[in-house]
Amino acid sequence: MKGASSGAAGAAAGREGLPAYAELHCLSNFTFLRGASHPHELVEQADSLGYAALAITDECSVAGVVRAHMAAKDRRLKLLIGSEFRLICGLKLVALAIDRRGYGRLCRLITRGRRAAGKGHYSLTRAELEAAGLEQCFILWLPAARPSPEELRWLAGRFPGKVRIAVELLRDGSDRERLAALVQIGAQCGVPLIASGDVHMHVRARRRLQDALTATRLKVPIAEVGLRLYANGERYLREPARLARLYPRELLEATAELALGCSFSLEELRYEYPRELVPPGQTPAGYLRRLTYEGARWRWPDGVPEGERAAIEHELALIAELRYEPYFLTVQDIVAYARRQGILCQGRGSAANSRVCYCLGVTSVDPQRGTALLFERFISRERNEPPDIDIDFEHERREEVLQYVYRKYGREHAALAATVITYRSRSALRDLARVFGLDAAESGRLAKVMQWWDGSAAIPQRVRDAGFDPGSPWLARLLPLANELVSFPGFPRHLSQHVGGFVISEGLLEELVPIENAAMPERTVVQWDKDDLNDLGLLKVDLLALGMLTALKRAFTLVNDYRGTHHALGQLPAEDPRVYAMISRADTIGVFQIESRAQMSMLPRLKPQCYYDLVIEVAIVRPGPIQGDMVHPYLRRRCGAEPVEYPGEEVREVLHRTLGVPIFQEQVMQIAIVAAGFSPGEADALRRAMGAWKRSGGLDPFRERLLQGMRAKGYPQEFAQRIYQQMLGFGEYGFPQSHAMSFALLVYDSAWLKCYEPAVFTCALLNSQPMGFYAPAQLVRDARAHGVEVRAVDACVSEWDSTLERRADGEPALRLGLRLVKSLSQSGVTRLLAARAVRPFASVPDLAIRAALDRGDLEALAAAAALVSLSGNRHLAFWEVAARERPMPLGFAPGRRADLEEGRPLLAAPTEGEGIAADYASLGLTLGRHPLALLRERLAAAALVTASELAGARNGAAVRTAGIVLMRQRPATASGVTFLTLEDESGQVNVIVWERVGRAQRRALIESRLLEVHGELQQQDGVTHLIARRLIDRSALLGELLTRSRDFH
Amino acid sequence: MRPGTLALLGDAGLVRVPRAAPLRTLTRRHAAGGRAGELWAGLHLPGINPEKLQQLAVCAQRFTPRVSLAPPDGLLLEVQGSLHLFAGVAGLRCALMSECLRLQVQPVLAFAPAALAALVAARAGKPLAVMDLAQLTGQLAPLPLAPLRWPPDTLARLARMGVRTIGAALRLPRAGFARRVGSQQLAMLDVLTGRTPEVRVTFHAPERFRRRRELSCELENHALLLAALAPLFADLGAFLRARQCGVVELECRLTHRHVPATRCVVRLAAPATDVQRLAGLLGEHLSALNLPEPARACELRADALVPHLPGSNGLWQPGEHGGSAGNEACGLIERLRARLGSEAVHGLTRLEAHRPENAWAVTGPPPAAGHRGAQSGCCADAPAAGRRPLWLLRAPQLLCVRDGLPRRRGPLRLVSEPERIETGWWDGGEIARDYYTAVDIHGVRLWVFRERAAPHGWFLHGVFG
Repeated sequence: MKGASSGAAGAAAGREGLPAYAELHCLSNFTFLRGASHPHELVEQADSLGYAALAITDECSVAGVVRAHMAAKDRRLKLLIGSEFRLICGLKLVALAIDRRGYGRLCRLITRGRRAAGKGHYSLTRAELEAAGLEQCFILWLPAARPSPEELRWLAGRFPGKVRIAVELLRDGSDRERLAALVQIGAQCGVPLIASGDVHMHVRARRRLQDALTATRLKVPIAEVGLRLYANGERYLREPARLARLYPRELLEATAELALGCSFSLEELRYEYPRELVPPGQTPAGYLRRLTYEGARWRWPDGVPEGERAAIEHELALIAELRYEPYFLTVQDIVAYARRQGILCQGRGSAANSRVCYCLGVTSVDPQRGTALLFERFISRERNEPPDIDIDFEHERREEVLQYVYRKYGREHAALAATVITYRSRSALRDLARVFGLDAAESGRLAKVMQWWDGSAAIPQRVRDAGFDPGSPWLARLLPLANELVSFPGFPRHLSQHVGGFVISEGLLEELVPIENAAMPERTVVQWDKDDLNDLGLLKVDLLALGMLTALKRAFTLVNDYRGTHHALGQLPAEDPRVYAMISRADTIGVFQIESRAQMSMLPRLKPQCYYDLVIEVAIVRPGPIQGDMVHPYLRRRCGAEPVEYPGEEVREVLHRTLGVPIFQEQVMQIAIVAAGFSPGEADALRRAMGAWKRSGGLDPFRERLLQGMRAKGYPQEFAQRIYQQMLGFGEYGFPQSHAMSFALLVYDSAWLKCYEPAVFTCALLNSQPMGFYAPAQLVRDARAHGVEVRAVDACVSEWDSTLERRADGEPALRLGLRLVKSLSQSGVTRLLAARAVRPFASVPDLAIRAALDRGDLEALAAAAALVSLSGNRHLAFWEVAARERPMPLGFAPGRRADLEEGRPLLAAPTEGEGIAADYASLGLTLGRHPLALLRERLAAAALVTASELAGARNGAAVRTAGIVLMRQRPATASGVTFLTLEDESGQVNVIVWERVGRAQRRALIESRLLEVHGELQQQDGVTHLIARRLIDRSALLGELLTRSRDFH
Repeated sequence: MRPGTLALLGDAGLVRVPRAAPLRTLTRRHAAGGRAGELWAGLHLPGINPEKLQQLAVCAQRFTPRVSLAPPDGLLLEVQGSLHLFAGVAGLRCALMSECLRLQVQPVLAFAPAALAALVAARAGKPLAVMDLAQLTGQLAPLPLAPLRWPPDTLARLARMGVRTIGAALRLPRAGFARRVGSQQLAMLDVLTGRTPEVRVTFHAPERFRRRRELSCELENHALLLAALAPLFADLGAFLRARQCGVVELECRLTHRHVPATRCVVRLAAPATDVQRLAGLLGEHLSALNLPEPARACELRADALVPHLPGSNGLWQPGEHGGSAGNEACGLIERLRARLGSEAVHGLTRLEAHRPENAWAVTGPPPAAGHRGAQSGCCADAPAAGRRPLWLLRAPQLLCVRDGLPRRRGPLRLVSEPERIETGWWDGGEIARDYYTAVDIHGVRLWVFRERAAPHGWFLHGVFG
């Protein structure tokens, strides 16, 4: 009893004589909503307490072990890998891997359990445990409150010599009793006892969070969770002195002994590339060489230039040396499949822009066209990690490629990487509000005040805005917990699937890492995310979906059909000055990448003139260059306002193509090598740290090294600082030249189409929605501004997709497709088109009966004014449609006679405003006037000017305008600034809202659909911005006009 | 508006008007709306609660015997016959409004020859006063359709056709309208315009029991008082039997010469019909009462009547052959309440919580009848159930400490290992304690704890039986 108050001095003195202890039953927060500490926190705490070892034993999972492994490597703490299970019969145990084989079997067991249940759950029976072959695992029996000797006897019979009884003394008042009972059972069955702690958190202070997580898991307010909460906070990593008082010495010593018996480490995982790809009798190297030269003959039909041949040989030699052939063959195989299926694709990434990939058709970046970067910069001898290639596919057809990979390698060898979904401010507040007993609506209200861009620091203010008192006791308890959930690196909540990162292996994947079901049927994911895979050096191919590729594919098909041409990706007339003139005007709505607002405001300043300018354009409007303050120096040098200088001779080579300003990730790496004396291996470590500094905290060790190295070579401190800032900016958004070069190709092709074939381009974009930055309304408005005739949706003419119709002058007109009509079913359209093909529709009832459309589809058509050619105006269409109460039995059409008798109803025709509102509600766009044109008189009376009038105003003028909010953006780089795009009948206005203004007028900023802005005009290089001072919500004027803005991250 | 444009008036008989569901005999008392010579006042009372509406209906009976409820927020009065009493519509409006004001409700009030029309106009916020049926359609035409309270999707469908007002709806062909919108809605339009008479149920004030008896001489003796009340109880018994009702609350008022009346209220655990029992209970209450003066009159009041079906009497005695002892317990509880006061008798229940303070709760009156089986065997799962004392102190009592050990009339001996409880942080009742079983010098087993936070005080929290 006295022990509870023993002083710190006593603990320190006693430490020497304490028995060694290893915690063998410890859950991290990857046992979602149970564990309350991050793996690295557990490792660090166990190390500081002087534990001999720590086992991470998440429930039917090893999702957190890579993070623990990396932390343990730093701390040199011995880490055991295991997992906790509760079988269907109620038996609870922990299995700990002794060696590689034991680990493999453990992963397989986890896979079995997870695949047998829905996402996030598992299900295992004794028979499955018995069949799992866990000979090379230790089994800790976790007895229930009333231990059942039968369970132990069963385990001891199946795993002779490997079973231990886990004695978990957690001060519930029955510790002595429990120990005595277990000693007795152990003696009966001949099974040794061992101490363990059922650890759920690294320190006692996480108890509240653990309680809150329990309530969240059980979906019950915490006040009602009752006995399902833990009675006390003893489930933490306890001090060895404390344990020594609770447990008999031999039970503690047994833990360290058992840890000694486990030799497995994740370091042992060796990755093997799949071998299926090489035809029998050939070596991977020989086969890759053959494919490369076949490709070279296709790329250079007149013979491979000598310089290129040498470069290819050089690359092949390096690939052979590092034995990366299977990786390139894997990528080639996937790309070849896509080609065969006619799926447009393009590779990018560090290794993608090599000559080998150019020859293999992975990318279209002609090495002679861009800068030929040294291949070593893509694949380094020193770094022990696989090359990285991302492949983009048409977004609507990527699934076919994924299923091909599953088919080809089997689900035992291929699976998607996971993404760990972590708590953000909004989800943390919502879940915690439920914990404190708020109902769904209130929790939603509390969570909703958090915009996606808010950090945790903003929480108290936002909470006050929502009408909650942040000083109220329950909120005072909630907010610190919310902070714990969202603070770095974010508390994991569940596993989801990565967008497209595939892991493919030669051996059984499930013996490398467990595989579980994803939410989508037919998808399986491994338990590790892409950083985990990277940390362990496992192969991953990113198969991504890109909307622009879908649109380009469609556009090429449309234009080739219409004009009989043979246009294809990367084969349009190159370097066309008209295309660059259009781009330089920022006339780029719909063009890949450079359609965003930030890009559009850069274009008139940068005025791209050639392909490489596009490469720069794509890369320069990114967090890296912006944070490194590289944008303005580059622009100044480009227009000759500042001389092109190099801070040192070594960097001239690296930076001469970008006028002495580092813009690409590769350049920053290269500078670290040539100017700061990094070895290529160090530079690579730096690159990886750049990608992960937010996750693992800090580039500090590199900072000193970088600044010192550059100082030593005589570089100005200010230049070194900027390089370092840029590295921080690259962080998660690192944008290498290798990606920019691939993207720039798509930029050019899409710009060419927009320039020469606007009708085709718009049609393709409309048919590929949702994608890109703009909604159909803006795309159609822009097309009409460029002289494209756009024809309305019509049930008698339109197809599902938008189509091209030949006009009298031979030019195409754009006919809007039925896919734009809200809540119209695709099956209904299929029937409608089939019926229309038989003979044209005579009337609405004729259409309704022959296409067998239900009331919902008919109303959708009427709402879109697609029946107007049959019925007259929209009101009459609804009157006719409303008569179709329910489908008539076949061969019985009583409707006709009644219709005749009823005669025409006295219905008023819709007003223009009603028509426009209905257009927006059903199609999201109108071919009528812009809604603001109807309000113009009132707006003009309030002294509000139009967008076109603004363009003519002088710099610095105080102006007032109003427009529909198309977009709100809050880039992470812009430190609290919000960018708005407003639209009226004459054009668009770009508004900048400084943080202070935005905070003071937050509601108007966030909620307005029609916004009035008073502010000051800023004109620079042909770019106009309105700096907002006052924001007024005018949405009421819109009445029913349903225009929804789109918010972007 | 020319009558010819009204399609409604053209083809009568195409649609049959459905009658209100239960067909009642149309007597002069319940009946009618939209007959020639009727005038209806419609009151729209947004947000009114049902009691207030009832109350207003009772008051409205001053103006006319034909009052009709239109729940949840409407009230209709047929006022043709009363107009002359108030000097016409304006006077009546004044009188009605001031009555509402008195009850603190703010209505919109409209007059029309058809009940529904008056109500719809009021709901639309238009204080119309249409006296003539011929003018009704024209007056209603500009009103929106929403006050008809048709289903939202019906209104939405009409809006999509551009039909947003009553007038626009009336302009549509009848058959076409019925087919697209519904024959019920068409029928409602007919009622609205007075084409079809409407059946409205006349409001009746709810029943209650009140009997008073003037005593021939002033009485103070409880037994005599009770005897004097006997005929009133007999009346009550007959009253309840006739209506198959029971009471859950009975009030007895005794009037005195100088001081205000004495009130004596009997509350029951279950609806009672047995006047003997009621009289007995009232006797208990009366005997606990000190009358300030002798009583001159007595009155029995029962306002809240509860429908009650007499149960059959059991063959077995209570408790016998598994027969329920519920009625017995019920009687005991009522008697205890009568003697000790309602607040002194309560039930106990066990809660699933770690905090000892929160692991039990006072419940309201225990269930009246025999169904008490809900308390399952959950106690078995409770942690350390055996180590909880039956008697828990209302608040822990600080113990003095010597040599690190607690004392209570001498040193206490700790005889158990600690049980640590740390929980309750979410509602401000956070505890962090180590509980022990202790034995004092007399051998009494106590439940004590030591605070985990400084100053680590020792407390007594319970006593084992």
